[in-house]
Amino acid sequence: MAKIKALTQEWLDAYKAAIVADPEYKQIAKDWEGSVSLICNADPGKGIPEPIYMFQDYWHGDVGEFVVCDKAKADSAKFVMTGDYSRWKQVALKELDATKALLQGKLKMKGDLPYVVRNIKTVNKVIDILGAFETQWPDDPE
Amino acid sequence: MPRGYVGKFLLVNLSKGTWNDFTVAESILKDYLGGSSLAAKLFFDKYPLDADPLSEQNPLMIMTGPMVGSGFPGTSRFSICAKAPQTGIWGESACGGTFGPELKRAGYDGIVFEGKSPSPVTLSVVDGKVELLDASSLWGRDVYESTDLLREKDAKLKVLTIGQAGENLVKIAAIGNDKGHFSGRTGLGAVMGFKKLKAIVVRGSAKPDKADEERYKAAFKVSITEVKESAVAEGLHLMGTDANMDLGMVSGDVPIKNWTVGEDFEMSSNLSGPTMREKYLTKEHACSNCPVACKRVVKVDEGPYKTEEGPGPEYETCGSFGTMLMNSDLTAVIKANEICNRYGMDTISCGSAIALAMELYEKGILSKQDLDGLDLTWGNMEAVMPLIRKIALREGFGDILAEGSLRAARKIGRGAEDLVVHVKGLEAPMHDPRGFHGMGLAYMMSNRGACHNQHAVLPTEQGMASWPQLFDMKDDYVGTTSVDKAMLVFNSENYGILANSLSICHFLVHILKPETILEAFNAITGFELTNEELLKTGMRDWTLKRGINNLLGITSKDDVLPKKLLTALADGGAAGSVPDVALLLSEYYAIRGLDEKGYPRQEKLIELGLDDVRKRLYQ
Repeated sequence: MAKIKALTQEWLDAYKAAIVADPEYKQIAKDWEGSVSLICNADPGKGIPEPIYMFQDYWHGDVGEFVVCDKAKADSAKFVMTGDYSRWKQVALKELDATKALLQGKLKMKGDLPYVVRNIKTVNKVIDILGAFETQWPDDPE
Repeated sequence: MPRGYVGKFLLVNLSKGTWNDFTVAESILKDYLGGSSLAAKLFFDKYPLDADPLSEQNPLMIMTGPMVGSGFPGTSRFSICAKAPQTGIWGESACGGTFGPELKRAGYDGIVFEGKSPSPVTLSVVDGKVELLDASSLWGRDVYESTDLLREKDAKLKVLTIGQAGENLVKIAAIGNDKGHFSGRTGLGAVMGFKKLKAIVVRGSAKPDKADEERYKAAFKVSITEVKESAVAEGLHLMGTDANMDLGMVSGDVPIKNWTVGEDFEMSSNLSGPTMREKYLTKEHACSNCPVACKRVVKVDEGPYKTEEGPGPEYETCGSFGTMLMNSDLTAVIKANEICNRYGMDTISCGSAIALAMELYEKGILSKQDLDGLDLTWGNMEAVMPLIRKIALREGFGDILAEGSLRAARKIGRGAEDLVVHVKGLEAPMHDPRGFHGMGLAYMMSNRGACHNQHAVLPTEQGMASWPQLFDMKDDYVGTTSVDKAMLVFNSENYGILANSLSICHFLVHILKPETILEAFNAITGFELTNEELLKTGMRDWTLKRGINNLLGITSKDDVLPKKLLTALADGGAAGSVPDVALLLSEYYAIRGLDEKGYPRQEKLIELGLDDVRKRLYQ
């Protein structure tokens, strides 16, 4: 199976499909309400000439719109997480725990932090699924 | 005298009712900085190590550090030190609040108490004027009452006082500053109680100089930006330290049912920082000059544990009186916290001792009759509240638990000791080393016994802090492995120790960049130390305290984890995992320069300028 190019609409579609297919997700995320945006800062040297904005809608164990979007839509999400390309890649490859990245300032989040803490199992589950499919990263050799 | 310090320490002889000032050489200040490091140096140089902790020969030392009173974030701290009643080895307990900066404004960097007063006294230090005041009318009163009474005539006084637990020489007695801040660990409240020193009050208007005010202001500005940008600071402000309840439950950090259960998410949700914020928080509260404000002020309006507005529980208390006791009711934790505060008792040790009693009751080792009729079924908080009182007042079964968990278990016998989770006699705090093996090593090697605040292992291993600019660090550490942990622990100890010598809050050490703290430190003191030199003071501190403990009989045989922490849990984030003690210790001993007996090697002592320790250890 061909690898999916990271941080693209195709990648978001695969991510959404993996979440839907996960047997535990619906139960774990039953209390979660709200959209999440992931913003990858530009890093021309790594093949990211412009920031990439990705909007994801989550609601009580269901998933809605998962789209590459513009800044305005990304900023409208309930939670906005921003980081450098290398950090997102580390998180996806499970080389860096997302919560630790957040605490160390390697990722930044705007939103209701106590809500995230209260629902940390949901957050961890979604991050865990992020690494569930083969991904081609822009700076990986073809 | 370098800047940052007042340049004067106060020596009070309680037996004679006299006092005098003394100074400390600049070279010693540079090597030990302040706080518990400086106290250990003074203790080693001047006092008989073999004295009973509750004797006239054991001094009580209260020390600030060079940054205290500067206004820099987190520098409200002070350390209280003595040979510890609970453990019989080096004892120290740091505290935030208001007392430290005010002591410096009142004219002193620290106070050393010797002897024992014939009757209860309060030491008053107001703008350099020292008095010993009769405290007979305060004796028998709790921390909150005593604080209010001491402030009746002068509301600006900053108060440090014991409650009934300290008066009754309870070995887990704490010392309270302005009601909401406690120096809890190792039972130093009993040292005050033995000395008949009910309280210390301070007020002043002096301001220690800084070596370079403009340079300091620049560092201060950077520090505020770093706090504003920190997710750790935001989390602590919004949820207090109890933010760890939810996060820790996922990672296997939270002890449950006296360390026998791996996870309980319903319980953690009920006891969590977000729940406290939603239901019981009335406002956040800060120590002096702290922009984080992690302290909670809470109120319970109704129910059996109705509580007036007052200081709320930390994460440690939500663990020790919550998950450890199988209690899901946060209002009961808030009430237990208030009762412990009032009597002046360490909530970690008190909750842990009660958890032990509950397990012994469940196993039939203790009967209801043994417990003065209390039904210590797991989660029965109706029985816990009177038991706290019994411990503080040394009534009935409470008198046994008042000795701390280890001594209590030895007295009870019948296998009770195997159920105590302690190192060197100090109950472990609410962080499970089966989830974080580095913490297991840190517990084994901490100089005051099982401890989460003598080092910075918790933030580095759990990922709250990362300091690759100080020492080699991975981006991420897996908690449930012992590989690569010894060096992490060694480095995190050396850096974390600075919190207690500089007297800066551990959380600000996590939040601020090391270079920002160093810049502020040098701007204040003019010492111009490098990070390497600063870390060396941490090494010196650890090794001096280890030497003191070695002289008190501590050897490698004491560097152990209790049986429970070497028994894997069936579920949770730490399921199936136990620290590889042999690997951790062998690597650590080599790095730290300890011999097979657990003594610092002679060459290490010489390297750190501790030849006097070498001579006494190897004479």
